[in-house]
Amino acid sequence: MSTSEKKGKGMRLPGVMKDSHILTIIGLMLMVAVIMLILKPDAYFSGKNLTSMIFQFPEYGILAFGMMVCMIAGGIDLSLVGIMNLTGVLAALILKNMVQMDGTTVLNPGMVIPAIALAILVAIVVGAACGAFNGFIIGYFNLPAMLVTLCGLQLYTGLAYGITGGPAINGMCDAFKNIANGTIPGTSIPWVLLIFIAVLLVVAFIMKFTIFGHEIYFLGSNAKAAMYSGINTLRVTVLTYMFSGILGGVSGILITSHLNSAKSSNGSTYTLLTLLIVVLGGIHPDGGRGRVLGVTLSVLLLQMIANAFTLMHVSQNAKTFANGCLLIVALVLSVILANRPAKKKNTASAS
Amino acid sequence: MTTKSQKLKMALTSTPMILIYVMVIFCVVAAIRQPSFLSPATVVNLARASIFTMCFAICEMVVIISGGIDVSFPAVGCVAMYVPMYLNYNGIGPDNVFFFFGIAMLIGLFFGVINGILVSCLKLPPLIATLATSSIASGGLIMLLGTREFTSLPDSLEALYATNLLTYTSPDTGFTYPLTILVLVPVLLCVVVAIVMRYTMLGRGLYAIGGDKNAARIAGFNVRLLQFFAYIFCGVVAGATAMIYTTLMHSSTTTALMGEEMIIIAACVVGGCRLTGGHGNVGGTVLGVLLITLVQNNLNMLGIPTCWQTFAVGLILLLGSVLTSVQAKRQARLGKI
Amino acid sequence: MSDEVFLKLEGIKKSFGGVHALKGVNLEIKKGEIHCLAGENGCGKSTLIKAISGVHNADEGTIWIDGEKVEHMKPIDAINRGIQVIYQDFAVFPNLTVAENIALNGELKNRKKVVNWKEIHEIAAKAMAQVGANIDPDVKLERLSVANKQMVAICRAIINDARLLILDEPTTALTAREVEKLWDIVRGLKEKGIAIMIVNHKLDEIYRIADSLTILRNGRYVSSGPISEYDQERFTRDMTGRDISGEKYNPAPSDEEILRIENLSRSGAFENVSFTLNKGDVLGLTGLLGSGRGEIGEALFGVAPAESGKIILNGKEITIHNVKDAIKNEIGYVPEDRLTQGLFMDRSIQDNTIASSIHKYMKGFSLDDKAMEEAAYHWIEEIGIVAPSPKPAVRTLSGGNAQKVVIAKWLNTNPKLFILDGPTVGVDIGAKAEIHAILHRLAQEGIGVIVISDDLPELVQNCNKIVVMRDGKVAAQIDNNIDEKSLSDLLIGASVEEVESK
Repeated sequence: MSTSEKKGKGMRLPGVMKDSHILTIIGLMLMVAVIMLILKPDAYFSGKNLTSMIFQFPEYGILAFGMMVCMIAGGIDLSLVGIMNLTGVLAALILKNMVQMDGTTVLNPGMVIPAIALAILVAIVVGAACGAFNGFIIGYFNLPAMLVTLCGLQLYTGLAYGITGGPAINGMCDAFKNIANGTIPGTSIPWVLLIFIAVLLVVAFIMKFTIFGHEIYFLGSNAKAAMYSGINTLRVTVLTYMFSGILGGVSGILITSHLNSAKSSNGSTYTLLTLLIVVLGGIHPDGGRGRVLGVTLSVLLLQMIANAFTLMHVSQNAKTFANGCLLIVALVLSVILANRPAKKKNTASAS
Repeated sequence: MTTKSQKLKMALTSTPMILIYVMVIFCVVAAIRQPSFLSPATVVNLARASIFTMCFAICEMVVIISGGIDVSFPAVGCVAMYVPMYLNYNGIGPDNVFFFFGIAMLIGLFFGVINGILVSCLKLPPLIATLATSSIASGGLIMLLGTREFTSLPDSLEALYATNLLTYTSPDTGFTYPLTILVLVPVLLCVVVAIVMRYTMLGRGLYAIGGDKNAARIAGFNVRLLQFFAYIFCGVVAGATAMIYTTLMHSSTTTALMGEEMIIIAACVVGGCRLTGGHGNVGGTVLGVLLITLVQNNLNMLGIPTCWQTFAVGLILLLGSVLTSVQAKRQARLGKI
Repeated sequence: MSDEVFLKLEGIKKSFGGVHALKGVNLEIKKGEIHCLAGENGCGKSTLIKAISGVHNADEGTIWIDGEKVEHMKPIDAINRGIQVIYQDFAVFPNLTVAENIALNGELKNRKKVVNWKEIHEIAAKAMAQVGANIDPDVKLERLSVANKQMVAICRAIINDARLLILDEPTTALTAREVEKLWDIVRGLKEKGIAIMIVNHKLDEIYRIADSLTILRNGRYVSSGPISEYDQERFTRDMTGRDISGEKYNPAPSDEEILRIENLSRSGAFENVSFTLNKGDVLGLTGLLGSGRGEIGEALFGVAPAESGKIILNGKEITIHNVKDAIKNEIGYVPEDRLTQGLFMDRSIQDNTIASSIHKYMKGFSLDDKAMEEAAYHWIEEIGIVAPSPKPAVRTLSGGNAQKVVIAKWLNTNPKLFILDGPTVGVDIGAKAEIHAILHRLAQEGIGVIVISDDLPELVQNCNKIVVMRDGKVAAQIDNNIDEKSLSDLLIGASVEEVESK
């Protein structure tokens, strides 16, 4: 018993250290830091800049976790942005209807907390429902996840557009705005950081320490073998996309609060961004492989890069351009890295 | 052996027939609500509206049949429509239709080659690879050339715009409905692609690699070259189509076509293309495009506000996808022969 | 058959990254001869086929085709010299029609640019007439049965002027009747002077079709000669390198009943199947493909549940509608195709081991990682999986070790009934014996073990009860006092009777 324990512990630490993806990401983060240390040390490493970075990444970071879960399960979720906007629009509608405002002053302060609670609840429930719908269509009709979630994107975006009729819903109460824009009283720690960390812990726990998490990995690795191992693949598929949808709902609350506005076309670059994060984070597009840690680091890396771009006064479009290039580099790297160890092992076993 | 009645039943419930039923029902309902729907004007409008959707759908279909997918064509199209106008605005190059279309198609070719390299040489997943190309194209364009909006056409394109095949004048209202000569482009494209896909080794090769890449390799097809061809074809046609768009719409912006990929993929899938590759044909895709255009442009005839258009397209895509799955299951139930 | 040699190989050697797949192989195939290439899994048969078809070039040795020495052969050269291979997966296009599948390769070979559909139909009709096939040429290939797909592949091969047709394990997925039809076609091609090489390792089939035989073992040429020179004993000795050990599995008789099946039926698969399994029994379930042998396993595990009949496990009647029911009733199942159905290749040995018993490791709200690791270590030691730790991905393991991981996955659920479909397919001889020893030990411990297999020597040696299936019905229930030849007669008996009654 004790020897096996020792062996186990001995294996675990180098396991993370050996992960080439995680090392690459850490290396890239250091590189960005060094470059910025040379170019703009004062502006980049200021507390103000750090806080502004923290305010930005949680909304797409959480979306990226949704994408990650689906990709590990062997699928993809292109509808996340749609879910985010639909839930955002619903939350905004609830707030607008329950909290009566006159300019920026709230006329019925008693309703603020219940309204926010209801908005969050509805966002999460609707997110879960949208995700479950995706999962059911994928699992029951055996259709490619890409097609179904593309369809979902269109449906949920269309629903949000239909509900709003086009224009954005603006001007929510301050308390709601504070979710994504405020800090914990007395400190400069943003609320969103806590939310992000909480989501991260939940996702990490689910993926690593629950049956459901293991079932997601099994499903992504070999769906047929999962079925033959007694795993209800339809159930796991529905739950996986539901999980992703819930994360989309959380993001919906955050982005609506962050922008103080909700419409059907917010965050249109996020699909590409989340894909980039997930692939860069070492999640294999064929499913079954990848770690939460990689994705988390990859979120931070991209925020560092984005922020560096902002400080250098590079336009949003240059960012899109750079993200596209990065995505290709990350993909090529992941393909090369996936082939290399296999070759190594073959020659090792042969000699 | 399937009996004759069974065969008839299968033919009557095949995907193209179902599309036709849906379109007929749609038209009947629209005609009941708005009798003016039943006029040649609707046909002219429909033809006009489906010109570029049709061209895009045909090139997307070729890629899907080969077992890939290309979501970069809207961005590529934007580059292809913007750059020639930009050049013209700055007084570079002749004011010549062939020059504009040539530049547009060269740009399409360039991005087609990039997609081809990413997918066939580097073996990246097509969706993610072309998504990356899309952001490179669109981000790069705005980064380098800014965001202007060109609303006036050079004289040569204006002349092309003014060339009409026929003009229908409504007897009641006196409105004229001109049908541009450019409507011949998708017609020609459909005919050419249909012939190539059915009667040349190139076309059969595209079906073959979409069906089973490994078997295609053993049979002696150059899989890489065929994949390359699909993406290049898609890029070039998308470039030319974007120019048509500019001509017809009198507008060239950096984001004009963005988001169009959804509708195009929807049209292909509804028309019987399977995203797993190897299935689909021009006839089905044409029906898919007509259905989607019909719904997009005439939703208000059914009394549904236009803001629900996106949702309606999503619904059609969903039902179309489920239909393919149901058809496949039905075929499986028939058993092996 | 003429005496002219079509293909001659001498001293063919081939290695991949230090692994010697072929260590000097000789082979001679005459025109109009049906030649069988036999050998256990991993003996180098598929590498040899690839060397003949030009996919791989041999490191050493010479190839003569039709008396001409050939060097640096590419696949297209082999095809131009009339060598056609029909692979196990046939390499056909599911989305194209039958006619096109038959004609396309030839059109491609002739560098045609335009497709003439009339010509394609003519070519297809001609090919089908030659082999006596009758398939609607306009049907898409995905709708065909395995046998008809194979027929299309054969048509495609012969239309390209095949002079040597290589069939890689052509009978594995065919029913008895389909095998007969295939043999008729093969004999017809032989009449036309086409040389045929069949890769097969089932003696009974070899006897019925082949003129001569070459046996490989561990990448080495062992022996070759007319089929008449081989009897059961020599065949087995040359294949495995040892005599059949007389030792058979004979447990102490017991009356303690573990499993009883009564009149189990599923339409289209099997009907009224009944048998019992007592403590200590290893029950063999055999039959040709399509006889229902595999389907019974799937029914007991709930993949394709039975429609009627009783299953009594340890004295309690149970109903199985799905996999979950089977697992709840402590039934384990090693599927036939371990790569696609049994293993998560990218996951670690540990993850694979606990995949079906993961519920055991919930401690409070989370999974107990340490306990899972201990379980994996336990099984690595217990059934001898060769691995340094439970962490490496299963992809890195050999066939035998990977199969042991699948077995460990089910043993970790403490099954009362353990069903294995083809437990030693693609497993080398050493690991094969170890797996058999594990099964015997489990049976002694009181677990019901059912082995579904068409490997007759395996069944005779390792099972003490054998149930023979034929056309979905139980044809015979026997003990292991039977030799392989008579068992093989029992298997195909049905087709003989049918032929007579017709």
